[in-house]
Amino acid sequence: MARNTVLKGFVVATALPLLHLAEVAPDAPLGFTLLRDAQAVVGAPLTPVSAAGVARRTTRRVVAAETAATSATAQQQAATAQQQAATAQQQAATAQQQAATAQQQAAAARPPGAPAAGAVVSALPAGCRPEVRSGVEYQNCGGVYYRSAFQGNNLVYVVQ
Amino acid sequence: MQSTDRRRLTATLIRCCVIAAVAGFSLAAQAQPAGISPDAQRLLKASTDFLAKQQRFTADTRITLEIVLKSGQKIEFNHTARQSVQRPNKLRAERTGDLVNQVFVYDGKTLTLHNPQDKVYAQVAAPDTLEGMLDFARTKLDIVAPASDLLYKDAYDILMDGVTDGFVVGKAVIEGVRCDHLAFRAPHVDLQVWVQEGAQPLPRRFLITTRDLDNAPRFGVTVTQWNLKPTFNAQTFAFTPSPGTRQVEFLPR
Repeated sequence: MARNTVLKGFVVATALPLLHLAEVAPDAPLGFTLLRDAQAVVGAPLTPVSAAGVARRTTRRVVAAETAATSATAQQQAATAQQQAATAQQQAATAQQQAATAQQQAAAARPPGAPAAGAVVSALPAGCRPEVRSGVEYQNCGGVYYRSAFQGNNLVYVVQ
Repeated sequence: MQSTDRRRLTATLIRCCVIAAVAGFSLAAQAQPAGISPDAQRLLKASTDFLAKQQRFTADTRITLEIVLKSGQKIEFNHTARQSVQRPNKLRAERTGDLVNQVFVYDGKTLTLHNPQDKVYAQVAAPDTLEGMLDFARTKLDIVAPASDLLYKDAYDILMDGVTDGFVVGKAVIEGVRCDHLAFRAPHVDLQVWVQEGAQPLPRRFLITTRDLDNAPRFGVTVTQWNLKPTFNAQTFAFTPSPGTRQVEFLPR
């Protein structure tokens, strides 16, 4: 699958938020783009998850090492990968989004490589500027609009 | 000649390492009886009970998270955080580090998540107790609330759930403080806890090793400073967005 190419540094991490964790955000160091983990951060020993629960809820953080070609396309792939790493429900959504993306790309209604509406990405592409519409602030990134939101502890961007 | 010396040195070093490893091994083997030792249980329970009794405190922590790349390479991320707690229903946690700067504020009614650098925050009405809020944040929003381990009154039961083995490793010093070093084992996970000696058995360090992931990544938290008599003010548990900070939504889980 093409999107796997972006998962150059597929990563599995434990993440227990003992005192709270390192939810990963965009602009991580070392050129890593940390995508949202599959639900369930590894619990810290004292989070509502016991030590045993830690294992049960072991987080599989998907980290995409930023490749030379981190472009809008990569962003979209990253979003897809991120979704894939989420719940089964989200995987279903991913399938829909992939279909939607294919349609959109075929229709060329959006900029080439633009992510599908509804996709959630952990970092914005370069060159975005804020734009307020109906009192809500969006980021206009080359004609693709993103709205900020929190997904768990992570700040993410929802493609409009 | 030089290379011979080096070879000799290397051989010596290897021998020393082997001796040290064997010695360490036998020590561990002797010190690790099957089951959970009563002493380990007692020390941990004393610590969680002591913490549960503290009505107000702050804890400064240093947090280390290992991530394993697919190649097997381990990468470490570091954060520091400060948790301010006032039972039964107030919490503020600020963390700063490699991956994220985030403030978590709970005033008994509303939970706020704020990323100062991104100038965004989100708010949601929350249950009126710390424990209720923590459960709500976790189950409804997928938010891992900072300091939750310090807040649950049944922390001991939560911690020991699934634990099959436990023993007292011995004495240790964490951040200059003498501690008892405890080691527990649960399916997939090893847990070590360092508990301060004496009348205030505060937890000083946690280390969790996830054994069944490649290269067994670890998550560690060291409490660099406890303050059981903190000074809070009206702003400690309040959130007032600064100009230019905008409100965003929580995505449903």
